[in-house]
Amino acid sequence: MGSIVSIRDVVKEYSLGKVVVPALRGVSLEVEKGEFISIAGPSGSGKTTMLNLIGCVDTATRGVVEVAGQDTGKLTERKLTALRLDTIGFIFQSFNLVSVLTVFQNVEFPLLLQRKLNGAQRKARVMQLLEQVGLATHAKHRPNELSGGQRQRVAVARALVTEPQIVLADEPTANLDSVTGQAIIDLMKSLNQQKGTTFIFSTHDYKVMQHANAVVRLADGKLQGRETGEAAVAAALKGMSVAPVAQAAP
Amino acid sequence: MIARLVVLVQIALRNLFASFINFIIGGIILVGTCTTVVGGGMLDSLDRSMSRSVIGSVAGHVQIYSTKSKDELALFGGMTGGDPELAAMTDFAKVKTALETLPNVKTVVPMGVSGALITSGNTVDLVLARLRDLYKVRDGKNVNPDLADLSGPALTEQIAAQKAHVRQIVNVLKGDYTKAKVLLKKDTEETREGEEALARVSDDGFWAGFDTDPYGSLEYLENRIAPLVTDSDLLFIRYAGTNLDTFQQSFDRMRVIDGQKVPEGHRGFLIAKFFYENNMKLKNARRLDQIKEALDEGNNRVIKGDPVLERLVKENQAQTRDVILQLDGIKTAQVIAALQKLLKTEQTDFAELLTSFFTTDDQNFRERYDFFYKEIAPKLQLYRVKVGDSLTIKAFTKSGYVQSVNVKVYGTFSFEGLEKSPLAGSMCLMDLMSFRDLYGYLTTDKLEEMKALKAGAQAKEVSREHAEDDLFGGGDVVEAQATAGVIDDKAQLSGTGQAMHQEDLVKRVYSREEIENGVVLNAAVMLKDPARLKQTIADINALSEKDGLSIKAVSWQDAAGLLGQFILVAKLVLFFFVGVIFVVAMVIINNAMMMATLQRTQTIGTMRAIGAQRSFVLTMVLVETLVLGLVFGVLGMGLGTGFMSYLGSHGINATTDIMYFFFSGPKLLPTLSAGNLIAALVIILVVSSLSTLIPAVIATRVSPLRAMQTDE
Repeated sequence: MGSIVSIRDVVKEYSLGKVVVPALRGVSLEVEKGEFISIAGPSGSGKTTMLNLIGCVDTATRGVVEVAGQDTGKLTERKLTALRLDTIGFIFQSFNLVSVLTVFQNVEFPLLLQRKLNGAQRKARVMQLLEQVGLATHAKHRPNELSGGQRQRVAVARALVTEPQIVLADEPTANLDSVTGQAIIDLMKSLNQQKGTTFIFSTHDYKVMQHANAVVRLADGKLQGRETGEAAVAAALKGMSVAPVAQAAP
Repeated sequence: MIARLVVLVQIALRNLFASFINFIIGGIILVGTCTTVVGGGMLDSLDRSMSRSVIGSVAGHVQIYSTKSKDELALFGGMTGGDPELAAMTDFAKVKTALETLPNVKTVVPMGVSGALITSGNTVDLVLARLRDLYKVRDGKNVNPDLADLSGPALTEQIAAQKAHVRQIVNVLKGDYTKAKVLLKKDTEETREGEEALARVSDDGFWAGFDTDPYGSLEYLENRIAPLVTDSDLLFIRYAGTNLDTFQQSFDRMRVIDGQKVPEGHRGFLIAKFFYENNMKLKNARRLDQIKEALDEGNNRVIKGDPVLERLVKENQAQTRDVILQLDGIKTAQVIAALQKLLKTEQTDFAELLTSFFTTDDQNFRERYDFFYKEIAPKLQLYRVKVGDSLTIKAFTKSGYVQSVNVKVYGTFSFEGLEKSPLAGSMCLMDLMSFRDLYGYLTTDKLEEMKALKAGAQAKEVSREHAEDDLFGGGDVVEAQATAGVIDDKAQLSGTGQAMHQEDLVKRVYSREEIENGVVLNAAVMLKDPARLKQTIADINALSEKDGLSIKAVSWQDAAGLLGQFILVAKLVLFFFVGVIFVVAMVIINNAMMMATLQRTQTIGTMRAIGAQRSFVLTMVLVETLVLGLVFGVLGMGLGTGFMSYLGSHGINATTDIMYFFFSGPKLLPTLSAGNLIAALVIILVVSSLSTLIPAVIATRVSPLRAMQTDE
């Protein structure tokens, strides 16, 4: 099974005026297809930067980021956008739904950008996904008529509507209460299992991390370790719950 | 694609009502489009009504004139008020032949436009001339065929009536002098002399001895009293010298109203009916007409409380002098009797009677109007110039000396549909030969005359009396005293051979070649297809270049001078006004969209992250403003269209002379063309797009990273 995401010796630096702030300092990571992987780490550890690089919304200062076999550093802005549209689905911390569109239209939106399906096909696809996230009856509602959990479920549906290879979720449960957050993670997990879509999400919520089949731990822009398998994840999390910036497992 | 657009429009529509500032922008766009539609429609309608007047009356579609001209052609007078100095086209026949080879040229009508001052005859002079004629009849020296049958008591009665008329005039003048002395404190040698003369002729002794030396007494009156009368006001008359035959054919809406058209090839003059009514009619009669027209107009207009009509009534009450001066003793007595009966009064003072007669109100107006035309008007000379009279027009020739021509007035005319247009109704028509004479251009007659002079032709002495008859006796409607309209006949008659010469000219018939082979100042070109005006102008100018015609073609707008530019100026003002509205709109839209964009960076960033290209974001912002512009623009267009259709069905009444002038009539029924709406639409689209350009570009610069940032 080949890597869907391949990160090699990536350095990402931001310049704040004259000061150069390193966000990632030489990180390498391989993500396999179908993984349900959590990027863990405290604030400022580089989680979001890593997701941005994988999500093609940002490019590395040095090193190589390959997404679905394409070297993102060598793509034009236009091609990066196309890559995002066709390969990646996004779930945001604050849902980021378009407030003037209905639930249906929000989910349909990426399909409209793609221009691959006709109206009937789009409708079928959107309704199927809304069914799966349990919001078929809310298709005509506007986001502000929904609860936080419902909104995030709409966002999940939107992320999956184009049948992307990768879904990136940045702190998907941070704005939700724990029960709702749990439900969202369950939803994501079941979709991961049904469709084999690769899920990469950042979180600092241990309960959320427990569901991952792999955990990538970051601290200070460096990779602290990568645990794959439930046992390893559980073990790693145990350590982290004591000391958030844990040492890499042996 | 369509679904995408639907979503874009949906986003736009929903954002439209999301922000209060959009309603302000919308309001401005609404006002702007409404103004564009109404203003554009009004100006186009004005343009059409004016072009109808200008093209249909004198200008034709295109005017041509010599390239050697010092000034530009201005048919209705130029910037300085004077006539433009045009070089003559010396060989018009050649020009005409050449132009008529162009496919879109229908006809070419030769012209020259100018104006001159004329004075109507002095009332005293006219009365005295008639009295002199009557005395001649008494003495068996009659020269006036109209008076041939007069003798015995009828003659005595006529003489007495004319004498009473003179005494009546003297009374009026005495009154004037007394008033002038009080009001103006005028007490000069001149006024004293006038007073002395008036005192002498109002003395019964003067009249008792009148019959013993009528000619001596008449001479005293002519020399001392006639100059005191100032009723002969100057009148500026504008005319086009043209080939009357082709003019009548080419300007086919021209209709002869009174009299007849000038017989083919003849010299002659036609007065514009509008000008005739407004400037040559007895003022009291004209005012009665104006009041009647206003009352007949509908709209329930009444005299009471209407400032215009009340002013007309007041003027009629105060200005009865013209009527009094015109009536001789017999007629005065008749009118006084009739007025006493009508007004049921014993009043004997004529002026007082007239004043109370002209005191008209909504109850008695129609009765008084009918009475005036039935009882008083037939005794008056209603017009200063009558059909059949000869008109003497003096002008300065190019070389600076005064030249005058005598032309017979054959009738009055107007253009169908433009009867009430002061613009179309201000230009009288004169034959081209007289025009050339007047401005010192060589005509075939002049050539002959010069030949004759060289051959040593004898000058024939013409007495003053004879000359007058020779000159004015020929008209079919001319009455004996109908020399009104003649200007300064002394100067006219001082030339010895000229009088006979002039008489010949009136009778002479000219061939088309004679009329057209000669000097012409400008010419109207009538087109087959007016829509191809610009192209034809270019064709004419090219032809002139090629054949060396030295002529320049201009459109009727340019030819109309300042007047033609009016619409252009009005359009510029409108464009400026609309421009200001839209610039303000642009600035506000720009700011508002900038704010909206900055507020929505997360949404835009999200769209970008999800996979929207920059072009999509650009389209989204543009569509948003376009929708805003269209929604309010269409509302504004609807409002403007509604307003225009209201105006179109009700019409705008011309309440002032100036409005009359531009409306080419009493009412403007403005119409809206598709062009006006399309123009408004285009303006909205351009303004909306331009004003959103900067915010739209900024929106495309929003990074997809913005989606990852949480709003704190």
